Amino acid sequence: MSAAAASGGPDELVDHGEPIDEDEDDNGRSFEAFERQYATDNSWESLQEDERGFLRPLDATAELRARRQRAMSAAQSARIRKGMIRYVLLVLDLSRAAAASDMRPSRLAVMAGAARAFIRRFFDLNPLGQLGLAVLRGGVALRLTELSGSPEAQVAQLAQYGMDTGGDCSLQNALELGLEMMAGVPPYGARELLLLVAALSSVDPGRVQDSIAACKDAKVRVSIVGVSAEVHVLRRATEATGGTYGVALNEAHLSELLLAHAPPPPAPPGQLGAELVRMGFPQRAGGDASSTVFCGELPVLGAGAYTCPRCRARTQELPCKCHVCGLPLISSPHLARSYHHLFPVAAFEEVSDKQLQQLAAAAADGASSSGGDGSSSAVPWYEPGDTAAGAAAAEGALDGAAGAQRGLYCYGCLKPLMGCSSSEAGVPVAAQQQSSIVLRCKQCRHLFCYDCDAFVHESLHNCPGCECGAGAAGQEAAKAQAAAAAAAVGPAAGGGGGSSGAANGVAAGS
Amino acid sequence: MKFILDGLTVYFPYEFIYPEQYRYMLELKRALDAHGHCLLEMPTGTGKTITLLSLITSYQLAHPEVGKLVYCTRTVPEMEKVLAELQELIEYRNKYLGPNPPPIMALGLSSRKNLCIHPQVAEEGSRESVDAGCRRLTASWVREAALKSPDIETCSFFDAHEKAGQEALLPPGVYTLHDLRVFGRKQGWCPYFLARHMMSFANVVVYNYQYMIDPKVSQMVSRELEKECVVVFDEAHNIDNVCIEALSVSLRQQTLNAARRNITKLEGEVRKAQAANRARLDEEYRRLVGNLVEAQQLRGGEEWLANPALPEDIVRESMPGNIRRAEHFIGFLRRFVAHLYERMRTPAVVAEGPASFLGGVQAAVAVDAKTLRFCYDRLSSLMKTLEITNTDDFGAIQMVADFGTLLGTYSHGFAVIIEPYDERLPHIPDPVLQLSCLDASLAMRPVFSRFQSVVITSGTLSPLNLYPRILDFHPVSIASLNMTLTRDCLCPVVLTRGTDQVSVSTRYEQRLDEGNLRNYGRLVVELATAVPDGLVVFFVSYSYMDYVIARWHEDGILADLMEHKLIFIETQDVMETTLALDNFRRACDAGRGAVFFSVARGKVAEGIDFDRHYGRAVVMIGVPYQYTLSRVLRARLDYLRETFQIKESDYLAFDAIRQAAQCVGRVIRSKADYGLMVFADRRYQRHDKRDKLPKWITSNLKEAHMNLSTDMLMVVTREFMRSMAQPVDRAAAGKGLLSQEAVNAIWEQQRQQAKQAGLGGGSVPMEVG
Repeated sequence: MSAAAASGGPDELVDHGEPIDEDEDDNGRSFEAFERQYATDNSWESLQEDERGFLRPLDATAELRARRQRAMSAAQSARIRKGMIRYVLLVLDLSRAAAASDMRPSRLAVMAGAARAFIRRFFDLNPLGQLGLAVLRGGVALRLTELSGSPEAQVAQLAQYGMDTGGDCSLQNALELGLEMMAGVPPYGARELLLLVAALSSVDPGRVQDSIAACKDAKVRVSIVGVSAEVHVLRRATEATGGTYGVALNEAHLSELLLAHAPPPPAPPGQLGAELVRMGFPQRAGGDASSTVFCGELPVLGAGAYTCPRCRARTQELPCKCHVCGLPLISSPHLARSYHHLFPVAAFEEVSDKQLQQLAAAAADGASSSGGDGSSSAVPWYEPGDTAAGAAAAEGALDGAAGAQRGLYCYGCLKPLMGCSSSEAGVPVAAQQQSSIVLRCKQCRHLFCYDCDAFVHESLHNCPGCECGAGAAGQEAAKAQAAAAAAAVGPAAGGGGGSSGAANGVAAGS
Repeated sequence: MKFILDGLTVYFPYEFIYPEQYRYMLELKRALDAHGHCLLEMPTGTGKTITLLSLITSYQLAHPEVGKLVYCTRTVPEMEKVLAELQELIEYRNKYLGPNPPPIMALGLSSRKNLCIHPQVAEEGSRESVDAGCRRLTASWVREAALKSPDIETCSFFDAHEKAGQEALLPPGVYTLHDLRVFGRKQGWCPYFLARHMMSFANVVVYNYQYMIDPKVSQMVSRELEKECVVVFDEAHNIDNVCIEALSVSLRQQTLNAARRNITKLEGEVRKAQAANRARLDEEYRRLVGNLVEAQQLRGGEEWLANPALPEDIVRESMPGNIRRAEHFIGFLRRFVAHLYERMRTPAVVAEGPASFLGGVQAAVAVDAKTLRFCYDRLSSLMKTLEITNTDDFGAIQMVADFGTLLGTYSHGFAVIIEPYDERLPHIPDPVLQLSCLDASLAMRPVFSRFQSVVITSGTLSPLNLYPRILDFHPVSIASLNMTLTRDCLCPVVLTRGTDQVSVSTRYEQRLDEGNLRNYGRLVVELATAVPDGLVVFFVSYSYMDYVIARWHEDGILADLMEHKLIFIETQDVMETTLALDNFRRACDAGRGAVFFSVARGKVAEGIDFDRHYGRAVVMIGVPYQYTLSRVLRARLDYLRETFQIKESDYLAFDAIRQAAQCVGRVIRSKADYGLMVFADRRYQRHDKRDKLPKWITSNLKEAHMNLSTDMLMVVTREFMRSMAQPVDRAAAGKGLLSQEAVNAIWEQQRQQAKQAGLGGGSVPMEVG
């Protein structure tokens, strides 16, 4: 493409019959600034017209696949030890480079927005984790919050102090501050430093290489999200400490990169000893006025606080560290919410169009002949134990009472997937189908649409098909979800019995 | 991988090969098959060296009648790199060639300075002093004297090597300079003379350009190379200048003063010799009468004075009578130097042909061309007779003799130019007398005619058709190969306007303009905010750079720049520049970021790589034209126009653009690298400039990246830097590569086609029968 454009250029210019004169300008055809961006971007080539005159992208599934690939990387890393109890210092670079407006409205606003989203999502996914905030401004690293558990306090602090820019950025100061704050972190905690850097140069008081080495020794994992370009020393810092380094292409990519740090990363081998951690599950006192006491480190008068099971001190919120006896205090739902990181749902496999047609044919057969006994004998090219065709057949039979529709449906949302030949659905449905991909759980072999796949892996963390079992094929998805949630809570509340691959065994403190 | 290329089994030490490397090999093989010369352009970072080595050594293996591979490099580090790659290649090849691989002998040859292992001599600072130090210990008369009186010091390494004689052999293998020194220490042999001796046994010789091109050196070193050799000139984009320098002499007033002192010293020596050992001088006289100059045994450390003229131009006559006697010769030299002195005192610039200058010499000193032609030989004979070993002190008189011989030998293709002062500093008298060679083909012609195949290759040889004209040869194969890229890691852009939308240029009328300078300044500052780590800025000349930097300092642009990056500046002092480069690299490593201000045609532009984070962007400020008012350049342009019909403007543009391409090419040294290349001058927008750029640049120059202003450039830069920071898709990177199977499949396909064609041709007579 570009070669053609370049070789096309000079040919045009020949016609100008330019004189020998040095100063003669030959601009050729030049682009206006707004055109320039699209000059080589022949977007029409990736479109095609269908038989009804609608414009459709040539391969709509490609992008879906790519997105899925990214989402799946977490699921692929199942059975990898993960640092569940994370201590993260989020450092925002508010040097003068953050004031640039190449991102709209400004880098600062975009970075702050992404940081807010990250803080909330971090606590959502890591209820056991703690987060601190710092900013780099005027060549120094300023601590905004200590490592603590409350998202809203952090966000408020960020809004209050993290809004003006200026001066240089210093990687070394950031690393030193990180090291200082991580010094008190217990050995089972995963120490992480997450920097959001806008600057392209780091003005350091000393040798930054020494600080990187110190981070490596202290097992602090340094990850960096860049806003403008790849800087060698940042790349080196992340590589040396086992972190990741990404540079954002645009606003959306920035938050995507930052949020990728929210799920717990795999623990590097040999970093965390598998040991029992003493924790407390405190009782919550009633919220009536009679129970009002001083709670927490800065004695605040309040009602309805949590009582430490060891020293009976009161704290306002969970999770936290008891300010009197130092016992980590959490509630069991926190543990339960961390659980799925250790046992993620295995990635679903994609079903090709051809397979899908075979399945549809089998489902149609099953529905018309046997009335849904779920037998797989009707589909000879399918291995036994494959319930998808049978289940689809069963569903077909079930729905048969209502609409006599035949074909394949998403197990999650009952959306028709393929071959729904009922007359009123017609072509639009088929056209819609072509722009999506169909997936199948490797274990229960139920089919899912793309949206349900994303929902299962990103939010639900349970495969409804597996949880319901093959016999419960007719159950609604909502029930499956409830059962899945119960199953997830079960082992965690039982005191960590199921944490065979887990980083930490958990023992109730009281 | 081992694959078949057009019927030749090629050993290539990597699992995969780039398509352009394959095509490069094809072109090369075609030239070798045709016993012709070739001119190949392939960008740096595509593995040119290993491709060359791999094909030629494989070719040698298959065709034992092919002679040595003589690989000429520009610098010693390049030489070491070539040998290191060859070592890898041979190691890999031997795995295939079974338990008894065919022996290969490859070595690097360099000056004594790089090879000497004598504890005292090796410590000497300059090349000349090491040479002189070596001669002091190894000259034949010194050794003869040492035989009589043992307290005269000689070099034990040389003696040991001499004693071993023809038996002093290196075991087969690939020897870098370091390996040679190590081997020399172990054996107690002199590595320099061992390498010289082993040259005749070697399959691959790697040495400097000078050893091939400069007649003074090549006569000593390369004389015995056979015709079937394959000669490779790597990084040969400046080969014409090397040729010209090899045949040019310039004399300054200081040189002449030193030459006078040398003459006085020689005179004293002659007088001493007359008193002490008259027989020796008489014997020399008799020898000269009988034209025995060439019959002298050239042995050991004596071969330090070789004729500067080309071998075929050296007259095979006897020495003219008027300089046979030592005292006559001294007198002649004295008069000649006095005449040069006189000529140099001219108040105005003089430019004339060698013939008219010779006329002047004849009128003033009564010496004809023939006598002058023998100047050099006579001097070397005299110095040998006088047994002078501290040759480094006699450099000045050698230069004068050099001048005389070249002047006497060539009447065409040269010019004598006398400038009483430097054009740029007209108030300071600094007379210089130059005999400058105008024709690069003079020095190259013997190389082309002597050797079967000569390969000229570089990353920037565009426009390719100019080199055959300048060097006057007919290549059988000319090719410019592109670089296959998996992502757009080259981003050349042409910037024509500054922040205020006024055009920027370094043409003469505009170069000092306030707004123009400010635009350039803002460009650099803006780039410094968007480019991480290293940024390199090339100016057109030292004087322009000095002026611009001073102005930027006044306007506060440097202060702005310092906020983002540290500033380092190349100077004409090599040590200072080395230090600046060192600190530049440290600043880039530490993340501070730095700008390097450098000059096109300078040391940095020619030899220093700004790869990876050391150069994320390079800015070429202006078009680096030569100083067009220079008399030497004027004379050369006239000559080119008259002899080769090359237009002045064509040559100047070609020369400027190849320098610019060379500068911007500094940032890309491999495919994994990426870099922005900014051509900041409106003249680059012009068609006649742009199409002189190498293909690998123009093919990546998008229409949308031309005719930019600074603000548009910033958008392009930010986008480029962001996209390049994304992780590389390894699978996509692998797609461009050819595996062993793929390459063999190509060959198989070709053979099938050939067979079918052959069958078709064969079936015709059968039908007839």
